[in-house]
Amino acid sequence: MTVLSASAFPEVAVRDRALRGEAAAFPLQADYGHGLYGADLDDGRPADLLDRLRVVPPVFMPRRLEKLIELGREPLPDDVDLRSRLGGFQAPYPLYVSAFGSTRVAGTGLGIAAARQAGALGLPLVIGENIVPVAGYGRIERTAQQSMLLERIEAYAAELPPGVGGVVVQQSTEDADAEVWNLVHSDPNVRPLLDSGRLGFELKVGQGAKPGLGGMTLVDSQTAERLGQSYSFGSASGADPDNILRSSSPGTFTADILASQVTLMRNNFPRCRVWVKLPPGRDVAAAAAVARDAGADAVTVDGAEGGTGWAPLSFLQHVGLPLGECLLRIGWSPDAGGTLLASGRMWEGSRAVKALALGAGGVGLGRAALLSADECGKTGLANLVHCLALELRMLVSALGKYAVTEIDRSDVWPLPSPAAAEPDRRGS
Amino acid sequence: MTEEMTERLVATADGALAAPPAPREHLGSGRTRAALRVQNCLADAAREFLRRESVTEVRLPVIGPVTDPGARGSKQVDIDYYGRRYRLMTSAILYKQVTLTAFDAIYAIAPNVRLEPLETAVTHRHLAEFHQIDVEVAGATRAEVMRLAQRLIAHVVTACLDRCAAELAVLGRDLAGLSRALEDFDVMTHQEAVAALVSLGHPQNPRAELDWQGEELLSAQITRPFYVTDYPKGSRGFYDRESREQPGLLRNFDLLAGEGYGELASGSERESDYGRIVTRMRETGENPAKYAWYLEVARTGIPPSAGFGIGLERLTRYVAGLSAVWEGSAYPKLPGVFAP
Repeated sequence: MTVLSASAFPEVAVRDRALRGEAAAFPLQADYGHGLYGADLDDGRPADLLDRLRVVPPVFMPRRLEKLIELGREPLPDDVDLRSRLGGFQAPYPLYVSAFGSTRVAGTGLGIAAARQAGALGLPLVIGENIVPVAGYGRIERTAQQSMLLERIEAYAAELPPGVGGVVVQQSTEDADAEVWNLVHSDPNVRPLLDSGRLGFELKVGQGAKPGLGGMTLVDSQTAERLGQSYSFGSASGADPDNILRSSSPGTFTADILASQVTLMRNNFPRCRVWVKLPPGRDVAAAAAVARDAGADAVTVDGAEGGTGWAPLSFLQHVGLPLGECLLRIGWSPDAGGTLLASGRMWEGSRAVKALALGAGGVGLGRAALLSADECGKTGLANLVHCLALELRMLVSALGKYAVTEIDRSDVWPLPSPAAAEPDRRGS
Repeated sequence: MTEEMTERLVATADGALAAPPAPREHLGSGRTRAALRVQNCLADAAREFLRRESVTEVRLPVIGPVTDPGARGSKQVDIDYYGRRYRLMTSAILYKQVTLTAFDAIYAIAPNVRLEPLETAVTHRHLAEFHQIDVEVAGATRAEVMRLAQRLIAHVVTACLDRCAAELAVLGRDLAGLSRALEDFDVMTHQEAVAALVSLGHPQNPRAELDWQGEELLSAQITRPFYVTDYPKGSRGFYDRESREQPGLLRNFDLLAGEGYGELASGSERESDYGRIVTRMRETGENPAKYAWYLEVARTGIPPSAGFGIGLERLTRYVAGLSAVWEGSAYPKLPGVFAP
């Protein structure tokens, strides 16, 4: 453990949950009977739009009455149904594990530990961009370093209970050179997932931490030479031969290009789910509509708070819409088909409930999944998820609702005024 | 074939699958020899016809830095070319277009390799390694190459009826059925094909390629070869030209055999405008940088063209009346099946 650090993230709290599980949803038990508790309205972390919202239960609860009649007793948090349908997959919670990218962080065995635990929990798992071009796919000669993609899929599938979960493999512009999707799709080892309808592909249009830029990693000079045909290499890292900046291109998208790519995915992989990951751009609502209308099973929006990988400081601090604003602009209607998924600093229940209230059907665990797997490779992610699930049950039942899918905008306050109009609706 | 792979095949088979036998048994079979003689006649007759039409035979590359990205999820074979990633040709379409800077009309009987999705091992018409009679004509329209393909099919079928009577008898081919290939081919649009399939109770996505089952079902309804035109954009590669009059539809076609034999050929007018090629590459999720050599030629101008590729083993299956396409190959490679 502790090979990781995440200074811009509530790392201590996440690690605590990875160790203590559900108990970490409450103050320390040793303090019970001595301490007085109340809201700490300023915990020192920078607040974004979601942080500023509050979850507001009503006094009168007609849905609770319905549940009371159904059960013949007063409903409790345990009666809340957290099962969700996420981008064509069944999930026990409105949670999935989002892509870690080609960061070295995920390549240290943590990626596999997180995949194994996600499988056991039945959480859909997204496996991130550039894994194949950077680390190799290794169908013929597999080594520990060169088969990240397959090993993660295998670790996940080995633990996966029937009927839930699914693996979603990302492909970005350069990944297309390596035909990541075709490769996975035709691999005998992946066939059980394909045959059981639990394989999906995610088109990566962009990402939260650096909207407008492609993926970035630091690689050593040997790797840089090997990848020379596929990527551009910058001098931003100075003369250090072990830290050469490798940049992907973000890829060019217009509304037509996005719609056509989604259509092509549906054509080429009719048995697979199609997910589209959007960056927190100002026209995110238009992009989400294009992806949904073209037939995407899920549209993932990655808020500017998100990201596990290397990114320029100016982008981390100043570029992209916060997740809450993205969700408000998109104004996803669940009746329209498909699922809106949200990622960006997700780790505890209230933030998840607020995202769900603003239209998301599920939230992605990125850094929280990595940190918890780092804290405990066997049960860290499971402990974190169980704690989060307990919070979700308490919050949803407090709102007088008993299915997590019933959360809506009336459950949060204050709702900001409608977002600024988007000047370039279709982006083309 | 390993036991493991055999088990997989059996597990997914529709009951009609017969995996290819070992080479000595396969090549020693009278049926195989008859089928391969029919194939030889088809190739000879195709050459006769195309020579008469002043189409120049060329030798297209087997490897290159890029190949046809195709569709439907088949994987390319990478090879290590002095440290760089090269590909075996899935089809030589890009080279066909560029070769038209030298000749007005070309053809090749070209080998192709595609790692098709594993489930295609049971469609009776997919091989991972196959050959195409690959034709491309500068300045031609879709209608012109559709007529050329029909005349080519009529010529090679006539040649087989004339020269391979004994082989067709060994194979038990219904000659009356085969003779219907000499009649005019019907044409239906993709939209009409979708409507026909839906009316047959088959759920066909109107925005996608006809799926394997749908294609076979449609082919079984009709007794002679027929064309399906106007596939939607998003179902084919970037090189099939998009209609200027009907954006979203491609100026392309498939030729399907009747009698349930399914697809024989695909063809299209081609995109030749540099800007449109780059845009279409993005629309099909491709990275234009990968196609640098081709785009360099396209920037300086490649002629507008139309062309098609007829699957030689599929044509053999149809003409010889074989139950599966692998019977038309001396060393068949079914997708995912390890064979010599």
